[in-house]
Amino acid sequence: MSDVTVTVPARPDFVHVLRSVVASVAARASFSFDAIDDLRLAVDEACAQLLAFPAPANALHLRIAIDDVGRLEVVASSDADASDAIWPPVGAENTLTWQVLSALADEARFERAGIGPALHITKLREAAPSV
Amino acid sequence: MADTEERLVDEARSNEMFARLPDDPSAREELVRIHYPLVEYLAHRFAGRGEPVDDLIQVASIGLLKAIDRFDTERGVKFSTYATPTIIGELKRHFRDKGWAMRVPRRLQEIGLQLSRVVSELYQELGRSPTVAEIAAHSRLSEDDVLEGMDAIHAHSISSLDAPTDEEGQTSGSRLGAEDETYELLEGWASVEPHLEDLPAREKRILYLRFFRGLTQSQIADKLKISQMHVSRLLSRTLETLREAVGEPED
Repeated sequence: MSDVTVTVPARPDFVHVLRSVVASVAARASFSFDAIDDLRLAVDEACAQLLAFPAPANALHLRIAIDDVGRLEVVASSDADASDAIWPPVGAENTLTWQVLSALADEARFERAGIGPALHITKLREAAPSV
Repeated sequence: MADTEERLVDEARSNEMFARLPDDPSAREELVRIHYPLVEYLAHRFAGRGEPVDDLIQVASIGLLKAIDRFDTERGVKFSTYATPTIIGELKRHFRDKGWAMRVPRRLQEIGLQLSRVVSELYQELGRSPTVAEIAAHSRLSEDDVLEGMDAIHAHSISSLDAPTDEEGQTSGSRLGAEDETYELLEGWASVEPHLEDLPAREKRILYLRFFRGLTQSQIADKLKISQMHVSRLLSRTLETLREAVGEPED
């Protein structure tokens, strides 16, 4: 079990850092090229959704945990104050974000991290390559 | 580069033909034949960008002919050294005319070309998408290079490489059922409906195959006869376009 946590400023130009980190962790864990690309797109989408949240945010956090059987958990969150807000947004399951995340990941859900909005993505490694 | 040219071209024979060129019409043909390996080599460096290699060889050959006609033997430069930039220029112009920009740093271009090739070779061989370690083991790239190359696919500067110009990349089979697919897309993604209509047919199809059919990027690449990297770029760009479109306040 290993755990990686990264925090970047809550600005669109920093999203690529989070994308690269998730790709690097997934590559190390022997995820396939396709799966790594799915994770990149999913992190992109999750961050876009967090940055679009109405309350101001200073930081975007990404927490990645991988266990021994190849279950990768990614939680993207921001420090925006979501305590009074409706989160997940009404009709969230009809949004582009939801459609994209649920197709790219094995599981996706809206969560809260402290008072902040969060998106939780799970991606499973396919049958372990024999290397 | 210079080493490659020397390996590819019989320089002595080339000089001999240039000497005969003014009076011997067959010398020009012979020069084309001698330099054909150079043409092929340079054309292949531009492969994997959605243009058939045969077309690229044609374009490169035009570059070669121009170089032969303009070459001045008095200048003391080897012909292959002179011809290479002319041929590359012709190839670049070809892509530019197609609306494709060439703004990727060369090192990344080379990584990208290798990646593109190795990823599809391994996919064929293994029957599944390869891992980064496998890609590195089957190429001259390090694992970091592979990751950097993947990163670059999504960089804004190169998304223009694949800017669609027409229905290029569409196979006749891929048109079948296109209306049903669009309909399903519109049903599923009601929130972006007006923007889906604006997407080029191929982008719509990739969205449909990835998000509604659950095909992997490699499977889509296989189906549409384009590279996995190309699918990857088109997907991320299309999603970005949709996000921007949805983010725009409606009046």
